[in-house]
Amino acid sequence: MRIVHEWLSELVEIPGDIATVAAELGLRGFEVAAIETEPPGVIDFEITANRPDCLNHLGMAREASVIWNTPLKVTPPAVPLPTGDVTVEVDLRDADLCPRYCAQVFDVKVAPSPAWLSDRLQAAGVRPVNNIVDVTNYVMLEMGQPMHAFDLARLDGGRLVIRRALTGETLQTLDGVERRLDAEMLVIADASRATAVAGVMGGRDSEIDASTTRIVLESACFHPPAVRRGSKRLGLKTEASTRFERGADIDAPPAGIAHAGALFAQMSAGLPAGPLVDCYPSRPGERQVRLRLERIARLLGQAVPPGDVPRILRPLGFGVDGGDEEWQVTVPGFRVDVTREADLIEEVGRHFGFDRIPAAFPPLASPQPPPAAVLTRERLLRQALIASGFSEAMTFAFIEAAAARPFCPPGAEPALLANPLSEKYAVLRPSLLPGLVDACAHNRRRAQRDIRLFEIGSRFLPGTGEGRAAALAWCGAASGPHWSLEDRAVDFFDIKGVLERTCATFGIEFDTRPAERAYLAAGRAATLHVRSGSADTVLGVLGQLLPAVAEERGFPAGEEIYVAELDLSVLFDADAGEDLRAEPLPRYPSVVRDVSILVPEVLPAAAVRGTIRSSAPSTLISIVEFDRYTGKGVPEGQISLSVRLTFRGADRTLTDEDVQTAMDGILSALRETHGAVQR
Amino acid sequence: MADPGQALTSLRQQFEQELTGARTESDLRGVRDRYLARKGGLVSGLLKSLGSAPIEERPRLGQLANTLKAEIEAALTARLEAAAQARPPKGTVDVTLPGRQPVIGHRHPLSLLRERIEGIFTRFGFLVIEGPELEDDYHNFEALNMPPEHPARDMQDTLYLSSPVRSLAGTAATLLRTHTSGMQIRYMERNSPPVRLIAPGRVYRRDQFDLTHTPMFTQVEGLVVGEGVSLADLKGILTAFARELFGDARQVRLRPSFFPYTEPSAELDISCAACGGRGRLAPKPGMNPSGAAGLAAPNPGMDPSGAGGCPMCKGTGWIEVLGSGMVHPAVFEAVGYDPERFTGFAFGMGIERIALLKWGVEDIRLFYENDLRFLEQFRP
Ligand SMILES: [Zn+2]
Repeated sequence: MRIVHEWLSELVEIPGDIATVAAELGLRGFEVAAIETEPPGVIDFEITANRPDCLNHLGMAREASVIWNTPLKVTPPAVPLPTGDVTVEVDLRDADLCPRYCAQVFDVKVAPSPAWLSDRLQAAGVRPVNNIVDVTNYVMLEMGQPMHAFDLARLDGGRLVIRRALTGETLQTLDGVERRLDAEMLVIADASRATAVAGVMGGRDSEIDASTTRIVLESACFHPPAVRRGSKRLGLKTEASTRFERGADIDAPPAGIAHAGALFAQMSAGLPAGPLVDCYPSRPGERQVRLRLERIARLLGQAVPPGDVPRILRPLGFGVDGGDEEWQVTVPGFRVDVTREADLIEEVGRHFGFDRIPAAFPPLASPQPPPAAVLTRERLLRQALIASGFSEAMTFAFIEAAAARPFCPPGAEPALLANPLSEKYAVLRPSLLPGLVDACAHNRRRAQRDIRLFEIGSRFLPGTGEGRAAALAWCGAASGPHWSLEDRAVDFFDIKGVLERTCATFGIEFDTRPAERAYLAAGRAATLHVRSGSADTVLGVLGQLLPAVAEERGFPAGEEIYVAELDLSVLFDADAGEDLRAEPLPRYPSVVRDVSILVPEVLPAAAVRGTIRSSAPSTLISIVEFDRYTGKGVPEGQISLSVRLTFRGADRTLTDEDVQTAMDGILSALRETHGAVQR
Repeated sequence: MADPGQALTSLRQQFEQELTGARTESDLRGVRDRYLARKGGLVSGLLKSLGSAPIEERPRLGQLANTLKAEIEAALTARLEAAAQARPPKGTVDVTLPGRQPVIGHRHPLSLLRERIEGIFTRFGFLVIEGPELEDDYHNFEALNMPPEHPARDMQDTLYLSSPVRSLAGTAATLLRTHTSGMQIRYMERNSPPVRLIAPGRVYRRDQFDLTHTPMFTQVEGLVVGEGVSLADLKGILTAFARELFGDARQVRLRPSFFPYTEPSAELDISCAACGGRGRLAPKPGMNPSGAAGLAAPNPGMDPSGAGGCPMCKGTGWIEVLGSGMVHPAVFEAVGYDPERFTGFAFGMGIERIALLKWGVEDIRLFYENDLRFLEQFRP
């Protein structure tokens, strides 16, 4: 709201210069966007949505009147007597959307405005049109009441009907645009058709121009949601709609017309042709709010002298009755934001000065519960991944539909936004991976080769809805660059190792099984499973990103990206927690045996491990695959798998015989189950 | 035939020169071979040549030659021993080559800052709670004193879902939360006062991208409710927070503002670090010979002139950090708290904005590009 310094000074005495005015009002809740010091001087205030009463100079003058303890210099307008008894018939049909409608007919001489008027409008940022329109705008900018002038000769039947628009009804508004109306909007119509969208904009057909001699001046109070709906649906924001949709003063319509009439007379622009028509079917009672001194101190944390209450509230327009402890406060019509005691305490507080409120520290009566386990666990997960060389990324929760689709379960579609920012952000991500892949591609385009990124966040699966997940993406080298090392590109087992290590942090071991996913390369995709009792739950997915998907997102062909995604609810449910009991250290030495066997290439290592475990005595404490070899000496279609087995007795030192018996049993089981031959 | 005596002198000079010139052990060994080799060595050559000297001179020359030989041997031995001692021990490495660094990732700056903020409030006795990113209209708006058609809904342009999606809270959500306040409502629905919590998380607004806006950002909201909680408590907690995060030298002020869910409402400003709260940058040394530099009075409000105004705070001397206020009684009524008995305060801040201010990041979009050159500037 552009407040003209010279104009404001006319309404209230202000001792300071423009910078002081801006600073003082700024500290009372009116943020200053800009100052123009050139005469007449303009301060552009950002008026918060709760203060439509300050979208005009009088409202700001009331604030200034409290600050500088100077009275308002407002005198009642000199309203001329009507020259006759011409009126317009007002048919207020939808009083729920228009509680008050005032209209008065004026005989006018349309002409350009005098310089003082058009200069002021321009300073306030409103374009001058002609003396009639300019006066309505002037009144709005001075005391807040939006008004509209119709050319009476162009109103069919010489009457105004305030009603909801008819479905399919159209209106060409003043800006020349043909608008389609609907039944949710309120219009001002004549006998045959809509002629203005109430509180938003008038129609071109009833616009006044140089030939106009008789006008109907409208000054009304429209229901804020009705104006808001009209303005939103038409995509039309005007000076009038901005004021009405925040709440208009029910008492202002007659005052607005009186003020305009006085100005018309003063400028010899026109005289009333008849009396004011005031349709005001249901008058609300006075709004009264109780204000207690004790409550002010309680909310602000600072006692306020009782005299400050009337000193602050009266110049703001409130009626204040009562003694030193408690007041009955009458709320003026223009203060639509004040409905309860807290609202009045805010008025007292902001003029008392927030700088005079002391700084205290609220006492703590009882200890807080420990933080939620999920927060602690996400923090641990983050630490584990960072220690594994992954940097934390944050990507958007909404993505392109095309990027999301490969990551949805077969046949499912990602959740759509109703009003996305653009097609690039049209759906909720079903996985964190598309965002991470894009982040990898972004880095790759900027000459970064070795990229490890992770993200912890929410994903939105079709069907199950919102859930927490962690995703990883890795491309480039498997280890840090060094002059002594030969570069090796990342592969499946690098990222699998990170997942194994990370899950071990939570005391979890998972099974890995070959799987198929639309976004993963065939033969290099797996699901991770955790088992508890008989339940087998999918913990996550792991594999090489399908090259076509990578290239689609701008990744160079021929480079491999490995990705993984974990369902955090599964991971955290499986977490053994911190309640562990320390095991005593082993008392007897362990014995290590290495064995190499020839088995079919397609036999999963997990099957070999399973056979070993089920055929070994309980003294077998660990199985580690340490070599996998194909080539010279190994028949086609077979591999040589080397496994290191560690045995230890719980109650005695194992003898060579003990271990040999165990090894014999294991080897014969491998031979029988898999046809494994020892090398 | 040269004079043998002169030959002796010039050989000594020549040797001394070569010995000085020898830098490495192998240089020294070369010198030794050239002078002392039994066959063809310069010293033995000299000795041989003495045969041609007059007989009465021979004993004296022979003595001189042997002295020279002994000197050469001693000098070389000393240098060679010194060189051997200076020789690096077996297995010596070049310690100046770069080491093999374990690969360690980096924290995202927003996550780092969020943890820092959580740490401060945890010390102040606040509980940290998390909640769904998808919300229903009631928890995002209505319970917060923003009924349908409320003009303040425009302050938070909302992204809606085409059809309801199940949220983390198990409810049918219709929108992406515009703030984390919904979690505070849920908490109050389930717990009686006293309440002292912060609710960090991602929030969504239909804002176009620019230097300071992204349609998704990270918020930390706080709520304190009890008997007798006042605006003074709000000021105390937030001042302590701002000083800890931005430094003790910062001035802090509350400025009246508007939020539908608080009454009274206030913005928290901190004094601008770039201009020290003066609103204009100090003139460069030497630019102002009159000595007026540094005399600029603290600016109470707005510096109207653009010239010389501080670009960081747009000449005001203050920077807006967060919004706050006393919880609106309508919010208490919505969750079943008695507004006569309980009072409370709430606040909310965007972590991105704090990060821009704290680290001097110029473009908020950097936080979501995940460029490693940016991320790696922050601590692991
Ligand atoms: Zn500054």
